[in-house]
Amino acid sequence: MATILKLDNVSKLYGSLRALDGVTLSLPDNAYISLLGPSGSGKTTLLRVIAGFERQDGGGVLLAGESLDGVPAHRRNIGFVFQNFALFPHLSVARNISFGLENSEGTARPSAGVIAAKVRDIVALTGLGGLEERGVAQISGGQRQRVALARTLVTEPGLVLLDEPLGALDANLRTRMRDELRAIRERLGVTFLHVTGSETEALAMGDSLIVLDRGRIGQIDAPDTVYNRPASPAVARFLNCYNLFEGSLGEGAFVGPAGRFALDAAAAASKGGGPAYAVRHDRIEVRPPAAPAGADEVRIEGAFVASEYTGATQLSFFRLDDGRLVEVEAHLSHRSPAAYGADERYGLVWKRRDALVYA
Amino acid sequence: MTMTALSDGLAEARIEQPKPQRTTLWLVLPGVLWMTLFLVLPMLMMVYVSFWTQTTFAITPVLTTKSWVNFFSSDTYLTALWTTIRIWLTVLAATLLVGYPTALFVGLFVRNKTLQTVLLVLCVIPFWTSFLIRVLAWRPMLGKEGAINLVLQGLHLTSAPIEALLFSELSVVIGMTQIYCVFMVGPIAFMLGRIDPNVLEAARDLGAGFGRIFRTIILPLSMPGVVVGAIFVSVMVLGEFATSAALSGRKVNLLGNIIVTQVGSLKWAFAAVVGVVLTVIMGVVVAALLRVVDLRKEL
Repeated sequence: MATILKLDNVSKLYGSLRALDGVTLSLPDNAYISLLGPSGSGKTTLLRVIAGFERQDGGGVLLAGESLDGVPAHRRNIGFVFQNFALFPHLSVARNISFGLENSEGTARPSAGVIAAKVRDIVALTGLGGLEERGVAQISGGQRQRVALARTLVTEPGLVLLDEPLGALDANLRTRMRDELRAIRERLGVTFLHVTGSETEALAMGDSLIVLDRGRIGQIDAPDTVYNRPASPAVARFLNCYNLFEGSLGEGAFVGPAGRFALDAAAAASKGGGPAYAVRHDRIEVRPPAAPAGADEVRIEGAFVASEYTGATQLSFFRLDDGRLVEVEAHLSHRSPAAYGADERYGLVWKRRDALVYA
Repeated sequence: MTMTALSDGLAEARIEQPKPQRTTLWLVLPGVLWMTLFLVLPMLMMVYVSFWTQTTFAITPVLTTKSWVNFFSSDTYLTALWTTIRIWLTVLAATLLVGYPTALFVGLFVRNKTLQTVLLVLCVIPFWTSFLIRVLAWRPMLGKEGAINLVLQGLHLTSAPIEALLFSELSVVIGMTQIYCVFMVGPIAFMLGRIDPNVLEAARDLGAGFGRIFRTIILPLSMPGVVVGAIFVSVMVLGEFATSAALSGRKVNLLGNIIVTQVGSLKWAFAAVVGVVLTVIMGVVVAALLRVVDLRKEL
């Protein structure tokens, strides 16, 4: 696949804070890439450097093989969709959308007829028909999101950057817009780089997923790879579905304050970033305290604290003897929610091969 | 049971409805009273008095249009009317010319809120001295032996002092521009400061250079500030008399100066005529400016 954007060792400093610390990556053409990172991981900074709103302190940015060094933001041909949409408040929906065509400095300005035709096409594609003459204050949040998208897409950018584009929408609308974003992107064949702080959104949206960790790339992989085999404990933590234990790697076991976890031969092929031991919430089984563990299992004990019912799953919290909380997620598709007694002790058991070990 | 309880509740709510309205009435009352007593009545009085009969030493409430005819048939007064309008338009243009770039810098290019406040306070510092001192301070500045002439001659840019600097229409315009400029800067800087920086970045991202962004985004979004500033400056300049008295050497007569002289010589009826003319001009100017932008929508 052809590469549309290449970042080569890009770094950005704010005073002594390293917002970006040697980011190197290539984005393929015609793909949906999501970029996941907690707040403060530098994801917005990365987008602003790519768009040209900020200058990197080191490294290079290349769009379609050409260096963007010294190219101002308005000549980069990169679209940017803002979290708060940043629509022009004094212009109608149609004038917002045609703004880029009418005022672009880089390319020759199309004729009024061509502009009208392009606006008509993009209005149809984004489902804004009938709202053209409305002011942007007179439309709903979801419609504003579409205008922001249409305004960017109509200029046919080589790459579209979306900065938490669904963050300002309510939950219902967010899931619907996810599908629409993907559909629109597929019709246009342009690469979307979608920044989000939500792990579910990142997993659902991207053909591939980039995890940003304190200004560095934590992992670039397909979403299911990131979910099942996070490259480091930090990535596992952002995914918000792993219990992480600290400790040290011994002979055939991982030893920490929570206990001694015997290792499987396969799991022992560990990755870097640790030492840490990770078990996914939904890989843990809750058993009565008397029930023993099997030969291929690891067992610890904890006291039940509380549980949270979300409809499809039940998330329960257990406190270990050292005070740490362990989360257990039970899928309720084939069973009904379990009732645990408060402060009663239970055995928490998982298979050795389900654990991830980081050296 | 629940239904009755519900409708009972509704009935109670309906009975309590008038209460907030009465509160509104009480809130509005002091303002209405004050404005009626000290604005509406005096204005009606002014119109009434302008039709009274004026003799050299006395004024009688016998209705006549003599003062009005006098005003519109005298060259002196029509010249003063024209001078007032000319100076008002010049000062308005000058404050906009000096004030807009200043506001643009303070409101848009200074993104640090503290620094923004400091700069705006700096604009207000001249107001710490009295109005008269600020006006009179222009005399040692613009005079024949004044600072500007001394510097120009010292640099051998001019051989003789430029006399037109002081006691001319120019000195009045300079003085007024300096005094009223801040009333233009404030509202414009306020409107510019409210523009979301992301909106400007979005425009840049869509390919627009600064010139385009200024014309299509910044200028339209700052128009309410320009209109408010223009109203401030217009109302104050149209009613001015002190600056022209102090800096024109009595060569520039504004309608305000005429009112002062007429009142000084107890010509109440005639002063009232000029007052009515001035009020009408201000009303027309403010109404015209408000037509440019719908302030209720913008603020």
